[in-house]
Amino acid sequence: MTIMMPAPDHAVLSRRPAIVAALRDIVPGEGVIDTPAEMLPYESDGLMAYRQPPMVVVLPDTTEQVSRVLKYCFEQGIKVVPRGSGTSLSGGSLPLADAVLLGLGKFKRIREIDFDNRVVVTEPGVTNLAISQAVAHAGFYYAPDPSSQIACSIGGNVAENSGGVHCLKYGMTTNNVLGCEIVLMTGEILRIGGKAAESAGYDLMGVITGSEGLLGVITEITVRILQKPETARALMVGFAEVEAAGECVAQIIGDGIIPGGMEMMDKPAIHAAEAFVHAGYPLDVEALLIIELDGPTVEVDELIKRVEKIAQGCGSTVCLISNSEAERNLFWAGRKAAFPAVGRISPDYLCMDGTIPRGALPKALARIRELSEKYGLRCANVFHAGDGNLHPLILYDANQPGEMERAEAFGADILRACVELGGVLTGEHGVGIEKRDLMGEMFSDVDLNQQQRVKCAFDAQGLLNPGKVFPTLHRCAELGRMHVHAGKLAFPDIPRF
Amino acid sequence: MDTLKPRDAKDVEGAVRAAIASEQPLEIIGHGSKRTIGQVMATNAVLELSALNSVKSYEPNELIITVEAGAPLADVKSLIDSKNQRFAFEPMNTAPLLGTLETGTIGGMIAAGLAGPRRIQAGAARDHLLGAQAVSGFGDSFKAGGRVVKNVTGYDLCKLLAGSWGTLAVMTEATLKVMPKPESERTLVLRGLADAAANKAMTAALGSPYDVSGAAHVPKSALRDAAGALGGLGSPGEALTLVRLEGIIASAVDRAASLARLLSRFGAAETIEDEHSTAIWECVRDVEPFAVKGPLGGWSVWRIVCPPAAGSVLGDRLVREAGADVLYDWGGGLIWAAMAPKPDAHAALVRRLAAASGGHATLLRAAEEVRRQVDVFQPASAGVAALSERVRRSFDPKGILNRGRMTRG
Repeated sequence: MTIMMPAPDHAVLSRRPAIVAALRDIVPGEGVIDTPAEMLPYESDGLMAYRQPPMVVVLPDTTEQVSRVLKYCFEQGIKVVPRGSGTSLSGGSLPLADAVLLGLGKFKRIREIDFDNRVVVTEPGVTNLAISQAVAHAGFYYAPDPSSQIACSIGGNVAENSGGVHCLKYGMTTNNVLGCEIVLMTGEILRIGGKAAESAGYDLMGVITGSEGLLGVITEITVRILQKPETARALMVGFAEVEAAGECVAQIIGDGIIPGGMEMMDKPAIHAAEAFVHAGYPLDVEALLIIELDGPTVEVDELIKRVEKIAQGCGSTVCLISNSEAERNLFWAGRKAAFPAVGRISPDYLCMDGTIPRGALPKALARIRELSEKYGLRCANVFHAGDGNLHPLILYDANQPGEMERAEAFGADILRACVELGGVLTGEHGVGIEKRDLMGEMFSDVDLNQQQRVKCAFDAQGLLNPGKVFPTLHRCAELGRMHVHAGKLAFPDIPRF
Repeated sequence: MDTLKPRDAKDVEGAVRAAIASEQPLEIIGHGSKRTIGQVMATNAVLELSALNSVKSYEPNELIITVEAGAPLADVKSLIDSKNQRFAFEPMNTAPLLGTLETGTIGGMIAAGLAGPRRIQAGAARDHLLGAQAVSGFGDSFKAGGRVVKNVTGYDLCKLLAGSWGTLAVMTEATLKVMPKPESERTLVLRGLADAAANKAMTAALGSPYDVSGAAHVPKSALRDAAGALGGLGSPGEALTLVRLEGIIASAVDRAASLARLLSRFGAAETIEDEHSTAIWECVRDVEPFAVKGPLGGWSVWRIVCPPAAGSVLGDRLVREAGADVLYDWGGGLIWAAMAPKPDAHAALVRRLAAASGGHATLLRAAEEVRRQVDVFQPASAGVAALSERVRRSFDPKGILNRGRMTRG
């Protein structure tokens, strides 16, 4: 492990039996887990290189229990790590040795489906896909579709502001969530927003979304649902050069076409995927685009023709168009299985998640190639090309001494390159612990202090999910201190009227 | 009163730091076009950002533009229009409603969290603000967000800045998402529907797969004697229900036909095309029937946001119990209510009705003496109000920026 977590508080650990007993008073029965064997599944999340047994696991099933657990922990000065389905790829729900792991897995009920207002009110433990399934009979769906949608919870989606293949056209979680019930670290229960398009006052829902479980514990969420597009068709387009594929993406967007999804894979990713699922991907191309158009049939048919023409103009060597659902799904099969496919060709891999301006794609790929040589590690690349979100997969073998550290250093260099090229450290996986120590590449101390002061407004003691997102922990009192920049003149040297 | 015109972000820092040192709160303005929105403030200096008006970069292929906060909204709209792009959230022009000459700046658009009829499809300013530079009440310039669409690095402070009415920070620069303009648009017009039926028709349209980008209803009374209302469409004595479709021509035509069939149980729809359609939606966006120059120009105007299907029930009560004239947008989810002048602008009644429907109300236009007595923004529950105040203090502990604009002190 190269990332240091806050040192455990031995005073808290020494009180463990009393803490477990107190939690059992709040959540009776099997809702409190304290044996090492039973806590094992909670030791890590989707960032599996990091493991840490929690002090104790608690699985409340009512908002009132969540509130009482948090209030107790607040009063006792005990840290709390919230957890949904545990699919975070950035270590967002990695436990701490001296913290209570608060699982929301029992919040599994969809509370209300309101087709007239086009919203679903749901508990946070419901999976992303289950929401779409619950409204499918009326032709609706919930648009954000992270690739873990079978397993990931909607509460986790809100915490991470999850994206997915379709967020180019339909937005991320933040654009599709209207309100929530949230419990603050003090145990206070608040309702924010609701079924209306916007909430009154500051956009608290907006800052809660993507706050990675550091601001509060969400116990209910109101999401927007949309009517499913009438039809969807996909193109599979191969290019002999990455630059040509990048140009094709730019021209499609430049032509005013916003595809439902636009994905790119590089040669190593194509080969790994093809060997795994036999989707019929061409093996002699350097870059493959999967472009999906969705909407009314007349529109999709017309846009497919336009995209085909653009692709040919950019020198595509292969351009296939799906003529059935089976074909469309086959085009996607390789892309959707890219991560496990890479898992087959390497004992371990690290999945990175930076975003760059679309136009910087060829430069970014060239940099990744150089770094791959420098670190002596292979790298397969898949991207959400439409919005410049890169997922380089760094292949390594954890059993080789030093290789994981090398892979992490390689990954950090890729993310630094993303920032240098005008992009950001993470497009959809979150900062968590994985990118925590890189935050300084993108933000100054002043920027980070402002973010941490917002954290203080929600959790003044810093008890909720500490050690995530921010590289340095500051006390709230210290962050709130104002150094006086007094000058003699009231408003020095500024034009006045 | 001093008016300070900073030339750059450094000047803004200097002004805020001096204001902190002398404990003099600042009123932050761009063009001042929305100064009459909010509680009456007791500030003793104005920080005017109109000199920070340059376009830093515009990359049509990346679908982003970075501009200084004082850049005129109208100029920026013309610029992106020249590349056949637009702000998809359709920010309203508040000038006709508020009776100002100026049409506002980018900073004002974001601070007010503006959104137009397309909010139902494309969201509001909050959804299109990718990044910002701003000076907090600590006198420090900070960065929020980034310059790419997909970004979850750190807290999304842009969301807090949008709609904060300048009470958290002085925005100096913003990066916004732009979108390609559609090739064509079609508006279906249904005439003579009662509000409840119109609400149902809009619900049906928005629940259809035809990707509706506007759904508004103008009751007959809202049109009054404004014969030229709604881009020449309005004929007094007849309510108008409008549903908009945009996209490539073949698609817009096809969907308009399908939607007309779906809505046939509400009446026969006529179809308005392209620039005529655009003109109508500008009138809806800017709430033309309640313009200062129109017959209801002297009335107070409330902006009420509620669950869309509850719109007509709420609107009906506003009409019956408060004598309001109403106009519905967002499929019923936004109600503009004009009310004859009264010292309290019917605040207690409006707030009670809005809250009962799951919504909230903002007094967008009212005389200064009314705004001294009435909460302009919907008061929050005690817990949310306390949290909001802690969030505000995390940006501006001394209350230097637009002190008291959002809450009556």
